[in-house]
Amino acid sequence: MRTTLTLAATLSAALLLGACGADSDATTDQAGGPDTADIRVWINGADTPQEARDWLQETFEADHPGSTLTIEEQQWDGLVERLTTALSSESETPDVVEVGNTQAATFTTAGAFSDLTPLLDDLGGDDLLPGFVEAGTADGSTYAVPYYAGSKYVFYRKDLFEKSGLEVPTTTEEFVAAAETLKADNPQPANFSGFWFPGQDWRNAVAFVWNAGGDLAVEQDGEWQGALSSPESQAGLETVQELMTQASGAPKDGNEADPQTPFCNDEIGMMSAPGWVSGLINDPDAGCPQMMKKVGVFALPGDDGQPAPVLLGGSNIAVAAKSPNQDLARDALALMLSDDYQSILAENGLTPAKQSLAGQLGDDEFAAATIAAASNAKLTPPAAGWASVEGSRVLEDLFVAIANGGDIAELAADADTKMEDQLN
Amino acid sequence: MSRRPTAPLPYGLLTPALLALAVGLAYPLARQVVLSFQEYGLAQQFGQPATWVGLDNYRDLVADPYLWVVVARTIGFCLACSVVTMAIGTALALTMRLMSRPVRLLLQTGLLLAWATPVLAALTVWQWLFDAQYGVVNWLLTRLGGDFAGHSWLLQPLSFFLVAGIVVVWMSVPFVAFTTYAGLTQVPADLVEAAEVDGASPSQRLWHVIVPQVRPVLLVVGLLQVIWDLRVFTQIYVLQQAGGVTRDTNLLGTYIYRAGIGEGSFGVAAAVAMFMLALTVVLTFPYLRRMLREERAA
Repeated sequence: MRTTLTLAATLSAALLLGACGADSDATTDQAGGPDTADIRVWINGADTPQEARDWLQETFEADHPGSTLTIEEQQWDGLVERLTTALSSESETPDVVEVGNTQAATFTTAGAFSDLTPLLDDLGGDDLLPGFVEAGTADGSTYAVPYYAGSKYVFYRKDLFEKSGLEVPTTTEEFVAAAETLKADNPQPANFSGFWFPGQDWRNAVAFVWNAGGDLAVEQDGEWQGALSSPESQAGLETVQELMTQASGAPKDGNEADPQTPFCNDEIGMMSAPGWVSGLINDPDAGCPQMMKKVGVFALPGDDGQPAPVLLGGSNIAVAAKSPNQDLARDALALMLSDDYQSILAENGLTPAKQSLAGQLGDDEFAAATIAAASNAKLTPPAAGWASVEGSRVLEDLFVAIANGGDIAELAADADTKMEDQLN
Repeated sequence: MSRRPTAPLPYGLLTPALLALAVGLAYPLARQVVLSFQEYGLAQQFGQPATWVGLDNYRDLVADPYLWVVVARTIGFCLACSVVTMAIGTALALTMRLMSRPVRLLLQTGLLLAWATPVLAALTVWQWLFDAQYGVVNWLLTRLGGDFAGHSWLLQPLSFFLVAGIVVVWMSVPFVAFTTYAGLTQVPADLVEAAEVDGASPSQRLWHVIVPQVRPVLLVVGLLQVIWDLRVFTQIYVLQQAGGVTRDTNLLGTYIYRAGIGEGSFGVAAAVAMFMLALTVVLTFPYLRRMLREERAA
């Protein structure tokens, strides 16, 4: 036993020296790769419709005989962690990845993606959604391009509105009042929500902060500063607290996943959700198609009667820098930005990555709400460390505490400090 | 010094084990030590050279009161879970001795199933049981007259750890019960009988005859429990996604994960991991010493 230990110690010492030298040679070749390969594409959540997935796979495999394309669906929850581990390993990395638009900056600045600048014009150039191109650009080079956009809008129950004599609200004040009226008029079930607002849902909460003139963080002289404790932000946080405590029956520490479950269970008057949730409600297995005729939608109203500045949702796609199949991966990415593919996304309620295709969204109530919600949408702070803020769950913790009636000034100051730790 | 030359065979036989140790243990450990002295973030993960920062990571950590909160929480949770697991497991093992065969088989099958359930599957079920809105626990308690409609079990850190503790204990009891039961079958029946004839009460027989016989087994199992419960991760991580306040419920395992993989500060995470390693050694050292001493005495 003792010999083993001594030997193991010697060995580990040797490896320790070896480990120091092994890190510096990671410059990956930015183009090339074999002619045929199995391309792995990471797509997140249920957002991308099956029709688009099938089209991508068939078209790619027809264009590249001998190669295959596999779509691997990832959960949005915990994506930053998964990308961090997978993208850094040459043997494990997927070739093309979808990443949330707010998470893109962290990975582009870290060098996780291949430079797509030379391809930019072929992919759509100025036609691509500018905010998303910006999110994928670092030091003048573009590493991630838009995939689709989609801001959340409000789904409401027309029948419950009628019962309570409510009109579609046009200002924040009316919205809050409507949410509270619905809650009061529907005492059963006890967990009924006038506006469904689970405690971890910071992505919806931030719209109220922005609407009140506040912000999450601002850059000053090259340093990021938390801005949640500004008077404007605090006013927004108070609206959030009022809604969470007075109008919502959602779990105070729950997350916003699967809103269709309580919605189909008659527990929701209004909820703010991505457009593709209508597909989930309409799904005979997961949802309740018979409910659809009672569902109306509108863009969350702001203070001035205009749509509120909601979080600009959506995602970017990129080629993993460590992927050995650079050329094939780029071809797959180009297909995902082609007019054909993007039109399928648009027909399914996602705002396409190309502005010229916005007409494909159609002209029904859902399309109108999609366009209205996007018209005033905002992004999270463009800081390199923003994904770390998301990874540390500072904001989830903040809004859970707010949902529990915590002291706003104190919580906001505390969250500011924690965000500054991550951002600077 | 003259030594008898040894044949190469023993060394040859040792090589596979040593290689496995080197690949599985020595390399990660060495890498972790190196990392803990570096400023190593996401950019380094993708090829930038890492800068050496000496003891900075450690200095920052020790100065951060949050680390000590997490350490205290981890030790508390670990000891509470280990004690409860050992108590329930040993009690079950002792009861098994007195059971008739069919009943014992039934109990053992149940334990085996709990032991064999994959962690994530089991966690999903537990999560549903304690779900604030649709969970059967709340439904039952409300039926019994409590005010538990919509009660969130994960919101308060204490009840979060209660739920986490139940899951952890539920998963580790079978191992303790089986191992202890196996140890108990080795206690000579005539010894117990002799004690009974001499007039020893049941509790005297337990503490002075049976327990000393299975002491080595209890020590090993207890040691493993402490180690396992100290580095508990999956249960806490999954429950944090489901609800609760992350910062108030982090244990060392999830803290390392959030710092490293979540926030991309691998250097800091490695330093915390070194800390955890030291803590494991400190916590298990008394056990180990006792075990070694008893082994030598035997």
